[in-house]
Amino acid sequence: MSAQAQMEEIRRLSGEQRAVPPPEPERPLSKRVALAMLLAALLAVSLLHSVLAKRFATQTDARAERAAMIAARAAADVASALGGEGDALRAAMAAWQKEHPNVEAVRVANIENRSLEASSFAEDLKEGEMPRQMQRPEKPLYDLGQELRADVETNVSEGKKREDEVAVSRERGAILIAAPVEKDGSVVGFVQVKGRPEIVAVEAPSFWFALAFAIAPFVVVFALSFVMKRELVLVVIACALLVMTLFAYRQWAMRTLEGGARAAEQRFTERVAREAGIAARIAPGTEAKAGTWDADIRRVPLKVDPARAVEGEKSAVANASYGIGLLALLLLLFVGTPAASRTASNLSEHRQAYLFILPAMLGMLLLVFFPFVYGIAVSFTSQTIYNVNKPYSEIWIGFQNYAEILGDFDLRTPAGINFENFYWTFFFTIAWTVTNVTIGVTVGLLLALILNTKDLRFKALYRVLLVLPWAMPNYITSLIWKGMFHQQFGVINQVIQLFGGGPIAWFERPFTSFCAVIATNGWLSFPFMMVVSLGALQSIPADLYEAARVDGATRWQQFRSITLPSLKPALVPAVILSVVWTFNMFNIIYLVSAGEPAHSTEILTTQAYKIAFEQYRYGYAAAYSTVIFAILLIYGVFQNRMSRATEAIAA
Amino acid sequence: MKKAFVLAAGLLLAVSVQAQTEIVVWHAYRGGEKTAFEKVVNQYNASQKKIKVSPLAVPYDAFADKITAAVPRGKGPDVFIYAQDRLGGWVTAGNTIEPIDFYLDKNLTGRFIPSTMQAMTYRKTTYGLPLNYKVMTMIYNKALVKTPPKTTAELVTVAKANTNAASGRFGLVYWYSNWYYHAPLFNAFGGGVFDAAGKPVVNSAANVKSVDVMMKWAEKDKILPAEPSTALITSLFNEGKAAIVFSGPWFLEEVSPKIQWGLAVLPTVTEAGGKPMKPWMTVEGVYIAAPSKKKDQAFEFAKYLTDTAATKILALEGSQTPANRNVYNDPQVAANSTLKAFRAQVDHAVPMPNVPEMTLMWSPVTTAMNAIVQKASSPKAALDKAQKDIVEGIVKLKK
Repeated sequence: MSAQAQMEEIRRLSGEQRAVPPPEPERPLSKRVALAMLLAALLAVSLLHSVLAKRFATQTDARAERAAMIAARAAADVASALGGEGDALRAAMAAWQKEHPNVEAVRVANIENRSLEASSFAEDLKEGEMPRQMQRPEKPLYDLGQELRADVETNVSEGKKREDEVAVSRERGAILIAAPVEKDGSVVGFVQVKGRPEIVAVEAPSFWFALAFAIAPFVVVFALSFVMKRELVLVVIACALLVMTLFAYRQWAMRTLEGGARAAEQRFTERVAREAGIAARIAPGTEAKAGTWDADIRRVPLKVDPARAVEGEKSAVANASYGIGLLALLLLLFVGTPAASRTASNLSEHRQAYLFILPAMLGMLLLVFFPFVYGIAVSFTSQTIYNVNKPYSEIWIGFQNYAEILGDFDLRTPAGINFENFYWTFFFTIAWTVTNVTIGVTVGLLLALILNTKDLRFKALYRVLLVLPWAMPNYITSLIWKGMFHQQFGVINQVIQLFGGGPIAWFERPFTSFCAVIATNGWLSFPFMMVVSLGALQSIPADLYEAARVDGATRWQQFRSITLPSLKPALVPAVILSVVWTFNMFNIIYLVSAGEPAHSTEILTTQAYKIAFEQYRYGYAAAYSTVIFAILLIYGVFQNRMSRATEAIAA
Repeated sequence: MKKAFVLAAGLLLAVSVQAQTEIVVWHAYRGGEKTAFEKVVNQYNASQKKIKVSPLAVPYDAFADKITAAVPRGKGPDVFIYAQDRLGGWVTAGNTIEPIDFYLDKNLTGRFIPSTMQAMTYRKTTYGLPLNYKVMTMIYNKALVKTPPKTTAELVTVAKANTNAASGRFGLVYWYSNWYYHAPLFNAFGGGVFDAAGKPVVNSAANVKSVDVMMKWAEKDKILPAEPSTALITSLFNEGKAAIVFSGPWFLEEVSPKIQWGLAVLPTVTEAGGKPMKPWMTVEGVYIAAPSKKKDQAFEFAKYLTDTAATKILALEGSQTPANRNVYNDPQVAANSTLKAFRAQVDHAVPMPNVPEMTLMWSPVTTAMNAIVQKASSPKAALDKAQKDIVEGIVKLKK
C-alpha cells in the first residue's frame, strides 16, 4: 500500500468516526434547559437594562441642558433689554449671576463692536478688564456671534425655524449655552452662560433590581427541571417565562420613564417662574418674555405634555425589547435544544474548510457587504448634501423614500408623459434591455454563422475587425457615436441628406433618441454574442450535420434541430449576463443621449446617479439603488430557475 | 567623535525644523498654473523661517468631494483653494470653512476687486480671500472680424456676414443651451437665479426675455450652429469656421496657434436698452480649514498669496487672472493684453451665487434650456417647469 493510499485510508476511517453522532452529554437534558433559561434571561435583561440606562443618561443630559437653556435665555433677554452694552449691563449680569449658584461664569459678547461687554470667565478677565476689544484668541467667540446672527437671519428670511438659534456646548462637564442678544430686531451679540449640569428628576435604574428579574425565571425552571422529565414541555415553559420576564421589566421601565418626565415638567414650570422673578428685579419688563424661555434650540417654545414627552423614549425601548426578546428566545432554543452541540461539532469537524473561506469572507465583508448595508441604511434616511454630518437617528424616515418612489403613479402631466416618474424609467429600462439583447443576439448569431462558413477566405481578419468594437473602451465609442448623431455635422445626417432626406435632430424626440442609443449599444454588444456563438458553433460535431444530410434534412431543418439546441447551453448564460450588463449600462445613456429629451431616455442607474449627484438627495438615491437591486434580485432568482431548467434539458 | 558631531547636528536640525509650523495647502492646479503657484510657495518659504508651506495638487474632479469628506473629520489640509460655488454648501455642512471676518480690516479687503470679495461672502460672513477669477468674454478670429461688435445689433450683422450653414461656417458660436453660457444675456436683462432673499426666480420675465433674444439668434438670424458642445465649438474656431466665440480663459488653452484671436468685452444688449452683457464670474478663494490647528499661520500665508508680488507671478507665469486689483497697475501686467481684456470684463460681471441651493439649479435649468432649444416647449413654460422643480428640490432637501 502506497503512502498516499494509507493516508486516504486513515482519512476515511477518521471521517467515519466523526460521522458517528456525538455521545449524549452527561448533563441531563432538563438541566440544560435551566442553563439556557439563565443565559437567555441574563442576556435579555442586561441588554434591555443597558438600553434603558442609555435612555436615562440622554434624558438626564437633555433635562440639564433644558434647565440651563431657560437660565441663559432669561439672561439674554435681560441683556437685550439693556441694549447689549454698557455699565448697566455689566452690573445686571453680576447681579444675575449672584442669583444662580449653579452658574460658574457669564459673558456678553458684542459682535458689532467686536468687544466683550461683560464677563466673569477667568480666562477673559486675565486678558484685561471689561469692556474691551476681543483679542486674537477670542476669534471663536466672534465667529459664534456671527453664526448666531446669520442663523437667526436665515430663519427670518425663510419664515421657518430651520437653523439653530442657540449654541450648546460642553466643557469638562460644564454646560455652555450661548443665546443671541438682539437690538432693534437684529442680533448684535450673545450671552454665554457656563454652569454645572443640574439633575432634574431622573431616577437611574438599579442594576441589582434588573438582575433579580433575570434570576427569578431561572429559579423556577431549575426547580421544575427536578419534577418534569419531558424536555419539550420544559422548553415551552421556559420560552413563556422569558417573554413574561421581559414584558414585566419593560412595563416597569416605561412607568419609571413616564414618572420622571412628569416630575421634570413640574420642575421646569417652577424654574421659569423663578427666572421671571429674578429678571423682574434686575431689568423690569423682561419677565413679560418668560413664556418663550422654555424653548428648544431653535427658540421654538416647548409645549410639553408629560404623558407624551417620553413617547419617543418609550417606543424606542419597546422596539429594542422586541429585538432583544427575539435574540434571547433564539439563544434559549439554541442552547436548550441539541442545536448548540451539533453546531459546535460541525465547526470543529470542518475546521479547515472554515479557515480556508475566512480570508474571502473577510474581503467580501469589507468590500461588498459593508457598502451594501451602508447603502441600505442610508436609504431609510432623508440624507442630503445639507445634513451629511447629522447622525442617522435624527434623519431616519423609515420607508418614506420607498413609498415616494414606488407609490408615485403620477405618469401624466399637461405636457405629456411625466418622464421623471419611476415607472416610466423602469419601462424604458426594460424596453432598452430587451431591444438591445435581441439585437445583440440576432446580429451576433448571424455574423457567427457567416464566419463559421467553411473555407471562408481572410476569416481571421474579419474576426479581428468584428471584435474591435468590443475591444475599444466603450466611453470612447459612445462619444464618437454622439458626434455622428450631431444634427448639422454628424455623419449620419450627412448620409441621410445625401439620399435626399432632411436632417434629423436625433435627441429632440424620445423615439429618435432611443434609436440613437440603441444603435450605439448594438454596435458595442454584438461582438460578445458573436464570439460566444462562434465558439459554440465550432464545437458542434460535423458528423451530426452529415447524418442529417444523409437523412435528407434541409438547411433550415439542420439549423433548427441541430444548431440551435447545441447553441443553447452557451447562449443562455450569455443572454443572462448581457441582460444584467445592459440593464445597468450607464456609459452609453449618460454619454450619448444624456437622458434627452427631458429625461425620457434615462435608465434606472443614470436616474439614480442624477438624483445623488445632481440633486444631492443621497437617501432617496440610495433607496432608488436598492429598488434597482431588488429588481435584479428578482431577475436573478428567475434566471436561476431558468438556467436550472436548461441544465435539466442538457442532461 | 565625528559621528557624535553629525548626530548632534542632525538633532539640531530636527529641533529647528520642528520650530517651524507646517501648513498643508491643497490646490487643483496643473501645468503652468501649478509651476507658478509652487514658485510663490517656495518664495514664501524662503522669505521667513516660522512657517513652511507644503502644497499638494489634488485632481480637480475629486477635489470638492475630498474636501467634503476629509475636512470635517480633521483629516484635510490647513488651507485649500477652490471656486466659490461650493462655499454655501460647505458652510451649511459645517466644520469645513473657517470664517475670517475677525482677521479682516479695510486695508486688506481694499486690495481686492470688490465683486470678488462679494463672492467670498455668504450670509454676510466672509469665508476666504479671493485669489483668481474666471470670467467669459468675447473671443474673435481676427482674420474674420476686423472690429469687434460693441452692441448685439452689430454682433448680429457681423455674425450674419460670417455665416454660411451649407459650408459649416457660423458667425457666433457658444454653448447657448448651457445656462452658464447664457448668463451674460439674462444678467443684462436684470434676471438671475435667486433674488436678494435667496428665493429662486428662474422664470422671471427678464430671464424669459433673455431666452427670446437667444432664440432669435438661433431661429431667425440663424447665426448659431445646432447642438453646440465644447468639442464642436473648439473645432469650429480652430478650423477658422467660427467668427466669434463667447468663452473664458479655459477656451484659450485649446485654441490652435494658427488662429489669430483677439479679446473684447462682451457687447451691450440692444434689446435690453443697451445694458452690457454680464457673465457669471467664478472666484477661486483661499480658504482656511475649520478644524485646522494653525489658523493664524494659515491666514498669514493666505495674505501673502493674495498680495501684489505673489499674484504678479501667478498672472504672468501661470496665466491666471488675479482678484488683486493693484497687480493690474504693474507695467508688465498692464502690457499683457489678455489680462487686460479679462480685467475689463470683470467690471461687467456678476459673481456666481454661492448659496447651497445653486447645486440644485443646474439640472432643472439644463433640462429647460434643452427643451427650449429643441422647441419642445416655449421659453416661458420650460422656465416655469424649472422654477417648480427647483422649489420642490429645495423643499425636499431642506426638510
